[in-house]
Amino acid sequence: MQNPSPNVEPDLQADTLRRAAIDRSVKGPVLFLLTNGAFWLMASTVLGLLAAIKSFAPDFLGHASFLTYGRLQPAHINALVYGWGFQAALGVMLWLMARRSGQELRTGKSLMMVAAFFWNITVTIGIGCILFGGNTSLEWLEMPAFTWPVLLFCFMVFAWPMVSMFARSHRPEGFMISSWYLFGACLWFPWLFSTANICLHWLPSLGVIGAGINAWYVHGVILLFFVPVGVGAAYYFIPKITGQPIASAQLAKTGFWLLAILGGWTGMQRFMGGPLPAWMVAIGAMTGVLLLIPVLVVGLNHHLTTLGKHNLVAVSPTLRFVFVGSIFYPIAGIILALISSFWTGFTFQFTHAWYGYQIIAVYGFFSMVAFGAIYYIVPRLSGCEWLSVRLIRNHFWFSVYGIGIVVVTSVVAGLQQGGDLTAPERWDQSWISVVLNARPYLIARAVAWAMITWSNVWFLLHLMLMVAGLGRRSSAPTLLERHDDHSDPHLTHGAKA
Amino acid sequence: MTDFRKLTLGIAASFGLPWLLLIVVPAFKYQHIKPIAYDKEADGMDGYYPQSNANVLGMQVYIREGCVQCHTQMIRPSQFSADGWHKGWGEDQSARPAEATRANTMRDYLSEDVALLGVSRVGPDLANAGYRLAAMDRSAIHAMLYAPHSVAMWSNMPSYAHLYTVRKAQGPKSDLALPLTGKFAPAKGYEVVPTPEAEQLVDYLLSLKKAAPLPAAALGNLATAAAAK
Repeated sequence: MQNPSPNVEPDLQADTLRRAAIDRSVKGPVLFLLTNGAFWLMASTVLGLLAAIKSFAPDFLGHASFLTYGRLQPAHINALVYGWGFQAALGVMLWLMARRSGQELRTGKSLMMVAAFFWNITVTIGIGCILFGGNTSLEWLEMPAFTWPVLLFCFMVFAWPMVSMFARSHRPEGFMISSWYLFGACLWFPWLFSTANICLHWLPSLGVIGAGINAWYVHGVILLFFVPVGVGAAYYFIPKITGQPIASAQLAKTGFWLLAILGGWTGMQRFMGGPLPAWMVAIGAMTGVLLLIPVLVVGLNHHLTTLGKHNLVAVSPTLRFVFVGSIFYPIAGIILALISSFWTGFTFQFTHAWYGYQIIAVYGFFSMVAFGAIYYIVPRLSGCEWLSVRLIRNHFWFSVYGIGIVVVTSVVAGLQQGGDLTAPERWDQSWISVVLNARPYLIARAVAWAMITWSNVWFLLHLMLMVAGLGRRSSAPTLLERHDDHSDPHLTHGAKA
Repeated sequence: MTDFRKLTLGIAASFGLPWLLLIVVPAFKYQHIKPIAYDKEADGMDGYYPQSNANVLGMQVYIREGCVQCHTQMIRPSQFSADGWHKGWGEDQSARPAEATRANTMRDYLSEDVALLGVSRVGPDLANAGYRLAAMDRSAIHAMLYAPHSVAMWSNMPSYAHLYTVRKAQGPKSDLALPLTGKFAPAKGYEVVPTPEAEQLVDYLLSLKKAAPLPAAALGNLATAAAAK
């Protein structure tokens, strides 16, 4: 399925030429999206660092209105989601869809460039509005109401050609799980986005239901946009680089349909014990836990596909990022189950654990897979190879440790906060002791964001050099070779496994 | 092509079902809930539940400043949490309330376009902040917003200094001037006064009283539901 099979020389050559033609056809929009996405990632990590510092030292950098935590934090999340997340996702999706459907992008390229341009303008204005007094306080929809029709239109400019490519190339005999996921993401997101925006901005006096819809939207974007794009990309790159077919088509299909069936129900458990009708909360909690099944099914399938090829994780930058991303995926699923079930959810409710979940889903899982994809895609589009192994390693290790610290400290801080708030024996303690108990975790979060900022400086620089065509002129890809292993015990370990 | 159609239909059906049942139907259904009148005999009081609405102008400031990032407005039932027992989280302001504050119901948020239930609880819950703050001087509430550290040294609440004006004191001391002392006080000859927005925000905080007694009619529903179990 991955390789069209014939071993005949001319066929292979024709195939290579065809691939190069496809790559050329999507080059402009994909590189534009990925580079701008990387700039937004930089902005988001800096905002995340500032917000983390502000969360324990509110006087840091003075009392300017746009530097208060209530504005910085949503600006940070929106930059991460709409600035980086969506642009990286669309760039990776477009390249993958063109490759998987074996078609060149024929029309709509200039419209795509315009749409990508307007996406960036709109996100810039939107985040500016959050910082300077237009915050709507709707989670993940903090940008003012006028931004959403523009963003939706820009998204559709990309989604429509992808859907039609998929439709044209769909063959019943060739089962393409990664395209299924990408196709799903193209349908689910506009549906979610328009529903949430129309309800929250146009329907008056929704009250509690509005808060529920908002929570449903956030979970929906994670589970029905970022997850399908990440999983779809992992389903492409893991077999591609290990050279092994996907372990089980049966598992792949099961995972896809369970996600499709369960994903739309979850979210309202965020307000468990609250004023929402009990059945809405209960069904969200139930699906939040049941989602463990598709998550673990996908995890198992990826594991079985990688089995025996773990040495490649040490060598290939793409596989290394994708591999770590797909380890973060089941962990994200477990955190979702923990914050969703009534058993543990009341402890984690309204604590830092929620931030930990958002970060592991959007950064730990999705972005790591997207980085892996970028390390694969960009050399094929820019015609040069990544310059430096050291830069890639820096990016990898600082990202992994940074994200790991953010997630672990957030979840543990959540346990601490939740215990302080819900444990009957601590019911009459003063509020400031609750605040002080969470303080060390917030300091750790700031340190972690500083590490992530460091990693992203190098990633952005590296990517800009590549896009400018200043990469290595070589036909051999940049691999994380093993000859300087002594500096990195993990590599030797991985190679032995 | 049929396979493509099946996939599309499968995705549409699997997502369409929760979309319809969980979002569209409730969104339209619950838009029409109305206040319930108290029954003089059963409840011992007149009027309607909920009794008062949140201050709308101040809510805009609350939304704009992103207060929801750290403040929830949702008391959970006491079988799941200690929310109702925390000092100052209900109507009873004593250090150890005699009774747990009731959990919030849907009608408590009747006047709000989107209920501000909140993102996280870095600061205390504000569902019933109106009762708590009513005990304070209005200018003391302003001082808390202007310089949170003047109230609690380790507070991690940001200063909302941009909602206040530092101006040259002229004539007798203004009634509006914030009672700031020590390092929080402005330079000599100056005073800090709230802007209209700060006044609106305080009006809003004072209007947060989501612990009005539930009318028997609403309790009746709960009792019937409990009996049915």
